[in-house]
Amino acid sequence: MENTINFGIDLGTTNSAIAKFIKGEVVVFTNPQDFGRSTLPSVVSFRKDKIMIGNKAKEFLEKDPKSVVGAFKRKMGTAESFKIKALNETKTPVDLSALVLKELKTFVNTGDSLESVVITIPASFDTIQSNATKEAGAQAGFKQVILLQEPIAASLAYANMKKKMDMKEGLWLVYDLGGGTFDVALVEIKNGEMKVIDHEGNNFLGGVDFDRMIVEKLLIPKIEEEYSFSSLESDMKSASGKYNAKYYVLLRRAEEAKILLSAKSSADIVIDGFEDERGNDVDFEVTITRSEFNDLIKSAIDSTTDMIKKILTNKSLKSTDIQFTLMVGGSTYIPYVRQHVQEVLQIPTNCEIDPTTAIAIGAAYYAATKPKEFNNVVQARKENAISIKPAYQKASKEKEELFAARISGNVEGLFYRITREDGGFDTGLKKLSERINEDLPLVEDAFNFFKLTVYDELNNIVETNMDLIGINSGFAISGQPIPEDICLEVDDGDNPGQTRLLLVFQKNSVLPLKRSITFPLNKTLSKESSDQVIRINILEGPHLSPPEANKGIGYMEISGDKLKKDVSKGSDIEITITMTESRDLSVSAYLNMADQEFKEIFNPKKRHTSIEYLKEQVVDLSEKLDEEIEHATEKEDYEIAGALTKLKKEMEQVEDETETLALDDESDNRYKLEDRKRKIAQEISAATQNKRVQLAKEHYFEIKEECEKMIDENGNDYERQVFNGIVEKEEIFLTTNSPLKIQEKADELDGIIRQIQWRIPEFLVDIFSWLKRDSAKMNDQNVVKYLIEIGESAIENQQWDRLKDVNYSLFDQLPRTSREQLNTRIGFGS
Amino acid sequence: MQDPRKTRFVRIPQSYLDLVNQVFEIERKTQQLKEDHSIQRNINRLKSLIESELFASNEGVGLTYHDPLGEPYSQTRTDCEASIAGNVTEDLEIVEVIKPIIFCNELGNDFGIKKIIQKAVIVAASCNKK
Repeated sequence: MENTINFGIDLGTTNSAIAKFIKGEVVVFTNPQDFGRSTLPSVVSFRKDKIMIGNKAKEFLEKDPKSVVGAFKRKMGTAESFKIKALNETKTPVDLSALVLKELKTFVNTGDSLESVVITIPASFDTIQSNATKEAGAQAGFKQVILLQEPIAASLAYANMKKKMDMKEGLWLVYDLGGGTFDVALVEIKNGEMKVIDHEGNNFLGGVDFDRMIVEKLLIPKIEEEYSFSSLESDMKSASGKYNAKYYVLLRRAEEAKILLSAKSSADIVIDGFEDERGNDVDFEVTITRSEFNDLIKSAIDSTTDMIKKILTNKSLKSTDIQFTLMVGGSTYIPYVRQHVQEVLQIPTNCEIDPTTAIAIGAAYYAATKPKEFNNVVQARKENAISIKPAYQKASKEKEELFAARISGNVEGLFYRITREDGGFDTGLKKLSERINEDLPLVEDAFNFFKLTVYDELNNIVETNMDLIGINSGFAISGQPIPEDICLEVDDGDNPGQTRLLLVFQKNSVLPLKRSITFPLNKTLSKESSDQVIRINILEGPHLSPPEANKGIGYMEISGDKLKKDVSKGSDIEITITMTESRDLSVSAYLNMADQEFKEIFNPKKRHTSIEYLKEQVVDLSEKLDEEIEHATEKEDYEIAGALTKLKKEMEQVEDETETLALDDESDNRYKLEDRKRKIAQEISAATQNKRVQLAKEHYFEIKEECEKMIDENGNDYERQVFNGIVEKEEIFLTTNSPLKIQEKADELDGIIRQIQWRIPEFLVDIFSWLKRDSAKMNDQNVVKYLIEIGESAIENQQWDRLKDVNYSLFDQLPRTSREQLNTRIGFGS
Repeated sequence: MQDPRKTRFVRIPQSYLDLVNQVFEIERKTQQLKEDHSIQRNINRLKSLIESELFASNEGVGLTYHDPLGEPYSQTRTDCEASIAGNVTEDLEIVEVIKPIIFCNELGNDFGIKKIIQKAVIVAASCNKK
């Protein structure tokens, strides 16, 4: 049990935050409903059946002031209260602050039950206002509330960051310019006591005013200069104005530009998407420079320095009496604010603390020094024993799904809230009743998880029997898994003339499925030629098998004579493969260069076999069988040689029958032959599997040794990291007994070797000499001559990067045939 | 079986989100052009790269986006950051999308769980013109 309070809350006019001191460090909790943000807008919105606090409430602040309240902190300690139309009752600033405090409790994910906290208040708060803040704390369920002035909290955050708990005696300023308010305080340490001795402020000055200035003073005049509008500003700013929606778009873009201008000297704002009064499309870009922005906010910043001057005059102080100005609040990120305040006051500004969370952090440091008075933490309302009986569809294709639940137990004074686990939906706090119904919006094609949480009136969680609500949306509902891998046959770049399989859909993936894959073509197809073809062959079966051992389920050929124009080697082919729930396969191939699409649908009950391609495959398989027999005999591996020789007879029969098969044969002979061919291929593959694995392993270990040596001699940390990453998984991929998998890893290591090689001067010089020798064959002799001159000079001056570029350029000058002599069968691959 | 809820989501660098936002803008502009879907192909290709390849090797995740234009808007939608235009706050509809919703999904997780890593930035207005 912790003995100190440890929790600090910045209950701000515009934004609030909560932090905790944990083992010497302060953690600022993030807002669970607002991805990545640690602040909560201090705004509360009321609807008939629910209360929302924070960002969602803020969105409606301006437009629905009768039901949404913000900036109520300014009214703390006054008799004023807010009439809430939706509830037909009034809420005091204390009630509203208590709601914000209760919402902040939900940020805490450490399992703590909050009984004691430090809450910050402005330096300007009098006793009544301070007591009102304490009361809000009590209403939120805190049994012990300690108040701390905001400038002191900021100073503590700074002191702790600097690890100087006992700051020197003296004076400094805390300059707090946030989203909507400005405060400045003069802080002093005297006789070891830190206190605020004077302060000033403006409740209507902050970052949002700067965004408005950008829109109104810079953007609107520029739009009016370029296009025809008679009253653009009022049409934008008036809620009933024609361009009101555009005004908010511009405000957002202005805010982005403002943030960018803190890092860059200029920012571009795109203005588009509407028409002027003459029907011209508004579409242009406005560049705002940092100096334009600085001029814009100058008078606002001057008003802040005037307040400081007033404080200094009141206290008869000179600039030299002040050690520094501590900058707090998001708007102090603006470089001009920092510079200008320093220049005008001649006091150094200090921007070392995080301006948005400094006050909560300082409050937490203070909390760590204050003993807790209430340690007897009782888990709230555990005895409540709420039982929830939910009813909902676990799978849905709708955009929303109805969730209904029957609640048993005492629901009096309890609330509930349903949030989607991805952060995209929040019902807000709603009164719990015996029956609840909610429409839950679903993200398409995803598992949606929702959490139903029950709270007591102090926002403490009440335990229930409710698990997560899981609803699956989209395709995986009625789909069935595919029994085998679905693969595409591609040219094998490592073994010219051979093909291999590329996994398209993995076994057990759930139908329907769709995937697009793009490859550069490895051959040129001229539009008149009918003998040049690109083949798209879809097969079913293990993706690590050789292609001939799997079953063809879709085959399509694109020959040159079907093309509108030539397609060159290197241009893209985009292949899209779709499989429906009823296993209909459709294949489309789009040739980028010809801007032409070829499409075919294959019914699962009908097979698609090209006789011509079958003939080729059978010849190849027969050759392969002969090679394997020869190889096994050479190696004196008589067991394999015997098994393969047994296949020879069947192979010859298949070969003979295929040869005599007419290209337009309509019988089912082609399918029978294809099956027989497949069986032989499977048997060859099985018989030679060990040999291929062995070869792949040997090759892998050779490459690995070479790669390790290369890294030791010339590699960098990144390359070593990649190497270690591959080697660490060695045990897994070597035991897969898949030659392709092992080859893949050897290729990755080979990639590292090549990367290093291209940095080694000797290698670059060797390549250059080799290219120079072949230069007579190259395409553009003038360019080649020039490149060689540069290369020679690079060697002389040891400019290795330059030599590398020269080598690349010379490679490009090699005629295609010498660059790559790929024997391609499919037309694409890797 | 792996618990589908136990997903790991990495911190996505802002530049990735910037890239996705640009693709979204290009797609939106293309939809206004009268062309025979040839540019859309390139966009689909970019989207597919972003979804399954670009960040796969380092982060093990894919990114997708959703344009909520025209969808109804209410305070329960925490997947959007809204500005409300007009006088009426009932029957709101999304009329401008400045940034789309970006989802992150862990590759290799067959359960299709997505997490929002960028809320949409939108303007909503009432479709009920009082």
